[in-house]
Amino acid sequence: MQKFSSLCVKRSEKSLKTRILGGLAVPCLMLAGLLSGCATAPAQSDTADYQAYIQQNDPIEPTNRVFYNINDTIDRYAFKPIAKGYVAITNQTFRDHVSDFVTNIGEPGRLIYFMFGGKPRDAGTSLVRFVVNSTVGIGGIFDPATSLGYPETDTDFGITLAEWGIPAGPYLYLPVFGPSGARDVFSIPAEYFLTPVEAAPTSTALKAFSYSETALHLVNTRAAFLDPIDQIQATALDPYATFRSLYRQQRASQLQLIDQRDTPTVPDWYSQPAQK
Amino acid sequence: MTYRRFVLAAFAGLPMLTAASFAHAQVAPDAAKTFIDQAGQQLVTIVNGSASTSQKADQLRQLVDQIVAVDQVGDYVLGRYKNVATADQHSQFLALFHQLLSYNITYQIKAYQGITFTVNSASVVGNDTIVDTTITRPGQAPADVGWAVDQVDGAPKIVDVIVAGTSLRITTRNDYASVVTSNGGQVSALLTAMQSQIDRHKAAN
Repeated sequence: MQKFSSLCVKRSEKSLKTRILGGLAVPCLMLAGLLSGCATAPAQSDTADYQAYIQQNDPIEPTNRVFYNINDTIDRYAFKPIAKGYVAITNQTFRDHVSDFVTNIGEPGRLIYFMFGGKPRDAGTSLVRFVVNSTVGIGGIFDPATSLGYPETDTDFGITLAEWGIPAGPYLYLPVFGPSGARDVFSIPAEYFLTPVEAAPTSTALKAFSYSETALHLVNTRAAFLDPIDQIQATALDPYATFRSLYRQQRASQLQLIDQRDTPTVPDWYSQPAQK
Repeated sequence: MTYRRFVLAAFAGLPMLTAASFAHAQVAPDAAKTFIDQAGQQLVTIVNGSASTSQKADQLRQLVDQIVAVDQVGDYVLGRYKNVATADQHSQFLALFHQLLSYNITYQIKAYQGITFTVNSASVVGNDTIVDTTITRPGQAPADVGWAVDQVDGAPKIVDVIVAGTSLRITTRNDYASVVTSNGGQVSALLTAMQSQIDRHKAAN
């Protein structure tokens, strides 16, 4: 599980944030607070070590490592075997379509995050993707929007907060959810409400759909990371630190990509001003 | 798709795990593309060849020594602790780093059977020239991998593997730094951890 959450990071959390897991966020955080053990900072005179400590920005590392080990155990005995079985009975094409379907369900949420984050171009892309993939793409099972020049740009409420200038804050490793941070943790409750399923009228069929979609996404995403996570476990000296590094780098990269893709352009039909 | 590609790509690049921001003579994009194309084709030929796993591992080790600036990468990974380490610890670290790289390559040979490699484009980013490639494996989604190429000792060498903005050299550096930090800033603890990792690999093979 730790692995699952670690690398699936945002995208896979799109479904994890649904109702089954969303309700766990608050108690988990409270538990984290109760159990929090703090890492001991090295002396400032020890320059190299102190700089490394500051860069890690993981003041409750002992607690985080406890949750990491718990998630790892859950993963080893539950998620990983299920994911391996799932891979054995499906092919890559099927798994790609599942991924596309789940991604499409998350587009309305992304539209809102981009709007709040002041990213109109990215918001438009999410809107186009949702409309095109929900119709031409048969409910999101296919992703024709990418072929039309509208690739997925992932985001969440944590990214929106980052766009508002809120710093990432200390690193957090959450039970079930995996890597997060003092800022990014707010994306979990936010995303709980931002799904089309949440907006639809309550019904038994909808509940069944929602639970099934969440479970399928969970397994599908874990399946995608079977080899990479095994490799991290086998080759990293400290897998916990490796996942932490990957998470942070990925978040920074995600912000960069969002800004890059939100660059305004002048349409071809718009008459260009004369050059002086 | 984005995330799966990110992670798969991150580890598609692991056999080439390397990097460093040392000698900063830039390589022209076209030359970097040619270099990566040739290196990639050599890699594919070895991995998909009919030789035994141990033979492939030997061939890959030789290839990596040719195309990757391993010592410089090691120094980058050691980072600020290079100034803390004694000369003896430093040379011991580089020797262990070479060994670990070899074992990590061997570990992944089977996983990359059937790999294909396509060079897309190249551009200068900061001090390095980044060559974008797509790596595919049977039954897996394609992975986009960027290779940072720099001029080292008069020849182009790979200095980093970048996937969706995630640098493998930085990841490894943070991994190693965590070991040192967790052990009171002692470089000797890192050397012990590296040796233990090598011993585990040996026991497994």
